[in-house]
Amino acid sequence: MSTVLVVIAIAAIVVLAAGLLIVVVYNRLVRTRNAVDNAWAQVDVQLKRRYDLIPNLVETVRGYATHERRTFEAVTAARAAAINASGPAEQARAENMLTGALKSLFAVAEAYPQLQASRNFAELQGELADTENRIAYARQYYNDAVLTYNNAVQTVPTNIVASMTGFRQREFFAVPDAERGPVQVRF
Amino acid sequence: MSVFPIAGAVAVGLALVATAAWAGLLGLLMAATRTPAVPTGPPTGVLPPEPPAVVDLITGGWRLCDEAAAATLLDLAARRVLAIEEIGPELSLVRLSRNPPAQPLTRYEQMVLEHVAGLARDRVVATAALAEGARHLGRWWKRFTRAVIDEARAAGLSQPRWSTRHRMILHGTAAVPAALAGVALLVLVPVDAYEDIDSMISAFFVAAGVTFMLLSRLVERLGGERGTPAGAAAAARWLGVREQLGAGRFADQPAAAVTIWGRPLAYAGALGLAERAVRSLPVSRPADDQRAWSDYGGMWHPVLVRYRGPGPWGRLFWARRGWPAVGFALAAGLFSGFWLWVLGLLASVVGWPDGLATPLAVLGALAVGGPPLVGALADLTHRTNVQGQVVRLRRHNRKANGSDVTHWLAIDDGRGRVVHAHGVDGPIWAGLVEGDLVRALVGRSWGWVYEVQVLRPSRHRTGGRNGDDATGHPRPAAAGGPPAAPPPTPRRRAGRWRATPGPAPNR
Repeated sequence: MSTVLVVIAIAAIVVLAAGLLIVVVYNRLVRTRNAVDNAWAQVDVQLKRRYDLIPNLVETVRGYATHERRTFEAVTAARAAAINASGPAEQARAENMLTGALKSLFAVAEAYPQLQASRNFAELQGELADTENRIAYARQYYNDAVLTYNNAVQTVPTNIVASMTGFRQREFFAVPDAERGPVQVRF
Repeated sequence: MSVFPIAGAVAVGLALVATAAWAGLLGLLMAATRTPAVPTGPPTGVLPPEPPAVVDLITGGWRLCDEAAAATLLDLAARRVLAIEEIGPELSLVRLSRNPPAQPLTRYEQMVLEHVAGLARDRVVATAALAEGARHLGRWWKRFTRAVIDEARAAGLSQPRWSTRHRMILHGTAAVPAALAGVALLVLVPVDAYEDIDSMISAFFVAAGVTFMLLSRLVERLGGERGTPAGAAAAARWLGVREQLGAGRFADQPAAAVTIWGRPLAYAGALGLAERAVRSLPVSRPADDQRAWSDYGGMWHPVLVRYRGPGPWGRLFWARRGWPAVGFALAAGLFSGFWLWVLGLLASVVGWPDGLATPLAVLGALAVGGPPLVGALADLTHRTNVQGQVVRLRRHNRKANGSDVTHWLAIDDGRGRVVHAHGVDGPIWAGLVEGDLVRALVGRSWGWVYEVQVLRPSRHRTGGRNGDDATGHPRPAAAGGPPAAPPPTPRRRAGRWRATPGPAPNR
């Protein structure tokens, strides 16, 4: 009888310890996942700031370079695609396209000295460069959070709890090739 | 034993009486030069004109606290000289304005701005990285304090405690107990203890000089600043503002909230009410040993520095050069083998199979000493290049007497957020500065650096160094303590917020 009790007690302790471990691991996974969501929200804020700046920029350039319709349309389309993108991978592709379109816009602007001299244009250009820098930092912050989360989801023993409770790996917000080296956010 | 015991007692008594009289004079002058009482003024939301650093001085008993630097940075942000932006809960950026300040800055504001500008990449620095750089924090803080005090004096809010006359009186009268101390020494020490008259005179002047220096030092220590009547009135007004601001929720506001709150947040910081914002701006605090901020690759990012190697042997064998590591591995193997052999012998006494001791000892020795031995031998022939930015240079005494010092070199190679600091020879270490871009030849297994080539000197090299000793590096710590003693840090107001010193290393 006493042996049975000892076995039951040991089993209860093991079950309790396992339950406690699961709770601790689960809570940690929730915290890291929330950190990822929070970091993505920060990326989203900076991206929206960028989207808001683009119409003003296009209108300013249009005031001086009325014949560059194709470039304006490309920027507008790329902006719309970026706004409608969902998920980090698709968002990254759309952002890369938008960056390319903006580079074309700034290339066009270089042909118009009066536009270059415009204070409004210079301020918008500066604000956009600052926003690109914020996006770069927000992206780095998000990718760090994803790395921490994915490490937790993939490594033992948290991967067991993660698979039981539906935690899946998250996508990184891919860095454009041009930004893999030292970041110089200039147009 | 004195030849003249009574004369000796009289001389010592006279010296003590003179010292006591001098101390009484000092006490009288201290009472006469104390700061006028500062009552708390009526609560008000109207901000008087004094800048936050001066407010910190006059509301902190005329001693500057380390919130002053952070509050100055917040004030600069409120005045749009720079911006503080929140990217995430653990990441905020300080962004310098493209335009020069609209109004001229004071000397200490310029110091804070220069510190930020020195760290900024593309006009941006992470707030937590404000403790980085190669400045000598102690000297920087002294200059900052001087500048704030000068401004407070110019505004008629503060004055030195001792005037020239006070100093002359105190230093002049200190000569009396000093001279009597010299006489007491001459009377107490037997005449035949001196070789000649010159040595007697020397003994007198040494005793008198040391006493005079001690008393003079006491005078200077008790000096500092005191408030003028105008300063006391201003402090009372600011204490009223503190009452008013205290009703707000500044304590939980991040530094980036200055965009919304403006200057009141800067003043709340100076008045000790904005703990979170001030803590997130370590302008006047030493850099953490284990959490560095690196701008390698162009963007500021945190790097965790481990003062040990990876794996179970990393604690014991990391940061050891080739042959000593071989010896240490052999010693560890022999040590464990011996004790396992003894254990095997004891086990055989209580009924375990005979002949277990030797195989157990061999296996144990191989298990404990084998892998590190292989690693150490590999380090003698196979080394790898690590290229990156120096993020931490620290020293750590393995022994309390300082006879066994490990020099640590942590390099951020951009491949991860955790770096294992390497061991390196003192002369190589002394030639490096945090921020240098280096290529290091490192043992693959136990992380000893054999060669370092500086590819690009740190941009902080011209701005002085962060260390505290003659080489510019932090002083070594005692065995078991942190890897480096922090440089002299600014005073914190008691009860305002808890200091968060860097954690101790694992070795």
